[in-house]
Amino acid sequence: MTIRTRLTLWNASMLLVALLATGALAYYELVIEPRSQAQETPATLKGDKQPAPTDLVEIGIFCSIVPAMALALAGGWWVMRRTVAPVTALTQAAEQMNEHNLGAPLGRSGSGDELDRLTEVFNAMTARLNSAFTRLREFTLHASHELKTPLTVMHGELENWLREDGLTEEKRGRVESQLDEVQRLAKIVDSLTLLTKADAGQVVLGREAVRLDELLREALADAESLGRPSGVTATLGVCDPVTIQGDRHRLRQLLLNLCDNAVKYNESGGKVTLDLRRAGPRAEVRIGNTGRGIAAEVLPKVFDPFFRGDASHSQAVEGCGLGLSIARWIVSAHGGTIQIASEPGRWTTAIVRLPVAVHPNQ
Amino acid sequence: MTLGLLRRHCFRLDFQAALVSLRFMRVLLVEDEKKTAAFVRKALQVEGFAVDVCHNGEEAWAAARTTAFDAMVLDIMLPGRDGLSLLRQLREHSIATPVLLLSARGEVNERVDGLNAGADDYLPKPFVLAELVARVRALGRRGSESKPAVLQVADLRLDTQTRRAERREVVIELTAREYRLLEFLMRSAGHICGRMAILEKVWDYSFDPGSNLVDVNVMRLREKIDADFEPKLLHTVRGLGYVIKEPS
Repeated sequence: MTIRTRLTLWNASMLLVALLATGALAYYELVIEPRSQAQETPATLKGDKQPAPTDLVEIGIFCSIVPAMALALAGGWWVMRRTVAPVTALTQAAEQMNEHNLGAPLGRSGSGDELDRLTEVFNAMTARLNSAFTRLREFTLHASHELKTPLTVMHGELENWLREDGLTEEKRGRVESQLDEVQRLAKIVDSLTLLTKADAGQVVLGREAVRLDELLREALADAESLGRPSGVTATLGVCDPVTIQGDRHRLRQLLLNLCDNAVKYNESGGKVTLDLRRAGPRAEVRIGNTGRGIAAEVLPKVFDPFFRGDASHSQAVEGCGLGLSIARWIVSAHGGTIQIASEPGRWTTAIVRLPVAVHPNQ
Repeated sequence: MTLGLLRRHCFRLDFQAALVSLRFMRVLLVEDEKKTAAFVRKALQVEGFAVDVCHNGEEAWAAARTTAFDAMVLDIMLPGRDGLSLLRQLREHSIATPVLLLSARGEVNERVDGLNAGADDYLPKPFVLAELVARVRALGRRGSESKPAVLQVADLRLDTQTRRAERREVVIELTAREYRLLEFLMRSAGHICGRMAILEKVWDYSFDPGSNLVDVNVMRLREKIDADFEPKLLHTVRGLGYVIKEPS
């Protein structure tokens, strides 16, 4: 039954009841009462002890007005609530919807009314969106997969060239520079594949007890060796013992990635500081560095794929621009959060918060 | 008498090992992509391997059943029967040829699946050819290789028991990571070590974490072992990796 029919029927039935009641009252007042008053006048004159039965009917009718109105109100409220409930459900569902749960359709009432139809249309729309997202992911996956074969061939051919005798220094240099570019391309394709798979939830992460403080000490050694050529020194501040559940290799990659950035975007002779604190159910890793920092307006964009700050700076820094996107994926896959704070011209700090394992000994 | 038997037995072992290293290593290459197959074959032949090429799983199964290969390079994605199922079938029929898997998908779980199916090594595409050659060589050596406790290249000595490195009686201080790096490079002395192989053996990464960690550590190691000495031993092979070798 459509909502229009339902509301029309409810209004019509209420109107009918009201008309019937008014009609009955009018009939009683105009036809029955005068007749009985004419008959019973002498009786009333005899004594006023008892109200006439006609008055009782009147009182009864007047007294039932209030409950009848309450009934009409309650009924109306109930009908409206039932009608609007799917709208509330739809609103909540639409609020919670993102690119990862588009595939789950909303429950339908099956009543065939306008809102049921709206839910149907909404589900069809999200299904179309979902298939568009899936197609996009599959496209990226196929594209990166298809790119790997020609890249393998190019790399192999170039390597075989390098092995050949009689190559002049100049030609060797050209081939080597080609090789560098092919490797750069291969790295981008690799990272892109990883991010696309992660987005589609296709990357399986390990879940083992990992000592975060040990990984941080290892990251310190990595930061020291990465910083040595440019005179950047790394120091470990607080390092609380913390165990978390997660994928050891990806967590190492995360810390290495952040240390790598802290060294890359530093000034020569600058500093990198590493800290690990336990704050209740969360572990907080802070990796800070001196240097030019990041302007407030570009700060929200640093996690976007291929974002590299301002153009003048990106020339000097190597990398494919996907490191922080991968870092953000690793953190969120572990149920944590990552943010970057910066004071331009002075320092930048990456703050990672990860949930601590409930049973550290397991 | 017992001693004589033992000596004869030892001699036979030595003799067999010598035979293995003398004859050509025969490698089966299973790769459907013709160009890839062509350059891999060429590189392996240059290194002195005898190479047979198959372009699909059925051919490879027939070849592996009739010929004893020393090593096998197997692509996972093949038309018809795929590499993993071929590998399982080989192992079910007790064909223990060492297998290096190649894959263009490069998933971490795929690596684990491959090793579980009986593969000995795994290399994601696109790979560095020198790396592939080094791994095939390692597969062929498997079992017959000896692990000397003291490694020596020219006048650089590394004692793997005391973890002491010295060059011309001068002790070289190494961090734990530098020690592992030097040991790996010296164990494959004369052969190029690719960045991926170094990341795997020295840092335990099964994927490229995206950093120039290898390069800065090799640079630092070179400062320690080569800066004050001649001849230089640790060389960069641009685009391919690093090699420790005596100057020829």
